[in-house]
Amino acid sequence: MPYCYYTCNLIPFEIVARNGFTARWLGDHVRGPATQTRRDALSVHPMTCPYVTKLVAAADQMLAGADAAATAPGAEPRAAHTADCIVVPGGCDAARRMGDLLAAAYPDRVFVLPMPRSAVPEVTETLAADLCRLDEWLSARLPDGAARPAADPGSGPHADYPAEPRPGGVFVVAGPLTDDSLLQLISRLGAHVSGLESCTSPDRWRLLAAGTAPVEPEGAAGVMPPGAAPAAGDHVHLAARLLEIGMCPRRSTTARRDYLNRRFDAARPTSIIYARQSFCDPGAYDSLLVAQLAAERGLPYLEIEVDFPFDANGPLRTRVEAFLEAQLLDDDLLAVLDDDDLFGGGPGEDDLLATSGGHGAGGEG
Amino acid sequence: MPGMADVTGDSLNAALVRTAYLAQIRFKAMRARTARRYMELHALSASLDLFKPGAIVPWVSYLFPTELLTSYGLTPMIPEIGSATLTGTDLREAVESAAARMPLARDVCSYHRIALAAVENDMLPAPSMCLGTTPLCLGKECLLEMLAVRHSVPFREIRVPMPPDEGETAPEVIADVAEQMRVLHEDIGRWSGRKPNLRKAIELSNRASAAWGHIMAERLAGRIEMNGRSTFATVFLGQLLWGTEEGAKDFERLLSEKGRSDLMAPVLDGGRKLRRLLWLHTVPHHDAEIFEMMERRGAAVIFEEMGQMHMETVDPDDPFPGLAKRLTDNALWGSSARRARLNVALAKQLKVDGAVHFNHWGCRHGLGSLPVVRAAFVEAGIPFLAIDGDALGRGGAQQDKARQAMESFLELL
Repeated sequence: MPYCYYTCNLIPFEIVARNGFTARWLGDHVRGPATQTRRDALSVHPMTCPYVTKLVAAADQMLAGADAAATAPGAEPRAAHTADCIVVPGGCDAARRMGDLLAAAYPDRVFVLPMPRSAVPEVTETLAADLCRLDEWLSARLPDGAARPAADPGSGPHADYPAEPRPGGVFVVAGPLTDDSLLQLISRLGAHVSGLESCTSPDRWRLLAAGTAPVEPEGAAGVMPPGAAPAAGDHVHLAARLLEIGMCPRRSTTARRDYLNRRFDAARPTSIIYARQSFCDPGAYDSLLVAQLAAERGLPYLEIEVDFPFDANGPLRTRVEAFLEAQLLDDDLLAVLDDDDLFGGGPGEDDLLATSGGHGAGGEG
Repeated sequence: MPGMADVTGDSLNAALVRTAYLAQIRFKAMRARTARRYMELHALSASLDLFKPGAIVPWVSYLFPTELLTSYGLTPMIPEIGSATLTGTDLREAVESAAARMPLARDVCSYHRIALAAVENDMLPAPSMCLGTTPLCLGKECLLEMLAVRHSVPFREIRVPMPPDEGETAPEVIADVAEQMRVLHEDIGRWSGRKPNLRKAIELSNRASAAWGHIMAERLAGRIEMNGRSTFATVFLGQLLWGTEEGAKDFERLLSEKGRSDLMAPVLDGGRKLRRLLWLHTVPHHDAEIFEMMERRGAAVIFEEMGQMHMETVDPDDPFPGLAKRLTDNALWGSSARRARLNVALAKQLKVDGAVHFNHWGCRHGLGSLPVVRAAFVEAGIPFLAIDGDALGRGGAQQDKARQAMESFLELL
């Protein structure tokens, strides 16, 4: 079964599956630092976010590797190898250019899917038309009769919460994460997590999984037969669903602000950590927005610059640790203040507590 | 020369200083009688009006069709131009310090970072509306919308689909973009409370486009050889003037030898042959040294990628499709493959000796297309150099490195 690699999970998996491809997240195929690089390997400018940088290398490795495997002397070519392809949702300039680069290097094997910032009806229709093109492109990639709905559920960014999130903890906003190591780090440092807002967050992939048709074994009911034309409304519905779920930093500031406020209201955190990748434009502006929302809620806020894959290295760990310790210290002091008769019921209580800094709204959780 | 604060204040004293300063610039322009000097005067004069109390200040993206504003007598505030201008004045240190204090990541585009720092510290006027276009980058859309939210003013974005790698943009795409522009033009009237005169704005813009289109055709045909760096700087400022009487006259001044006399490519002593270069992307606005060094070594930029706009006129009876086509077809919009194809064709037509890509700090769309553009030039056998830098930078290790790279490149040529 050929693989359809993707760089962002805002692709409708059922389109991939019904055309006979197994969806695979490229983030699961990032090369380790010790991996030998080909002399003619693709590369991007160093002022590019680590996610795109690593994914370009991974895509290059996968496609070049597939070609090499298919053409190696004596090797039995696997038809699936040469049919492997990549879908690149171009939500930001760097992702769009990643798609351009891969498309130039591997003609006809890369599909760049434009991802809009808003979700007004005209935009939804445009995305639906692009999804229709994607459907046709995937459908044409396999010989007639070769495409069967994929039975393999594929792989995806399935980082999960190490423990059930609950109010009164740290809310993490991040770019793509390969795993839960940032959340684990917070837990190890004695705090708990109230929520994670990321494109790889379970809050997104669970919705995506629920909102798109589950991949069922071949021949099972509900799977569209290969080659069958999807209903016209199908792509519009999928586009609307993707735009509803994909409320990431590239989106309209107003819509993103409303969305984040809803998430913070639901999670009721006591602090916010923004794990921003370097050289990420949407992340840079989004972190300003989140900092402002944190200030409006009186929540302590920390911005850290992270790599992809996430690496809880020394300095980063120290910063998170110091941030969390400061809060624990503040909580202890507040507890002392609460117990102290000096402030109990006195006329100045509200004023004194109000100046202790940033625990009002979140502390109630 | 007065400081920026002296000419942008709203006191009587500032008004007097501003008037005297503009009179001085006007005098220089009248003496030089060149398009460049007049364009500087008119762009500066129009921009200073934006600082006056009660002024309507539309912050717009670089490729925004400014005729939609001049229809209402409004001058655009373009962040890239504002940043480049401010960092060339006595406010440079102040605005850089403000940017350094800002929580915005340092790795974003410096045009946008400086613009944000400037507006947040009263060095640029606050927006009355923020109007973007999806071309060329996402960063400035993030900036414009964030500013709109912070200042509680309207934000609109003209959504422009990517043009195809080959061939023409589909008519229905142009029609969609045109319709967005039509609606936006009406919205601007509602927000500003002014009456439109789009026909007049288009006719004036057409006069400028006809002149500029003619000059570009002459340059492409090799009949006129202009200094690409200075010409870009002039057209960069000219973005503020499309659709105005001043803009029309200033671009028309380019048609005479006298009017373009300070924009011509250098002529080398002793009949030496000039090594002619094509410049891709923006320029380092405040680094004259690299261009002086190039000239000393017998090379010059004779054409600039970003000057390729407004080269065709628009139908005044039905302007929106023409304005839409100008936006969808911009040479820097579209895929990297399209950009590479257009630039290689341009280099071949101009028969340049080489091409230089300026990797502007934080520009994801420019840097992102670099590998494909470079590969296309290499395949075409045209020498290609990419230099890292900051369009707003002045001095420093990065510029030294760029200069060294340029020297080596020129030696190879």
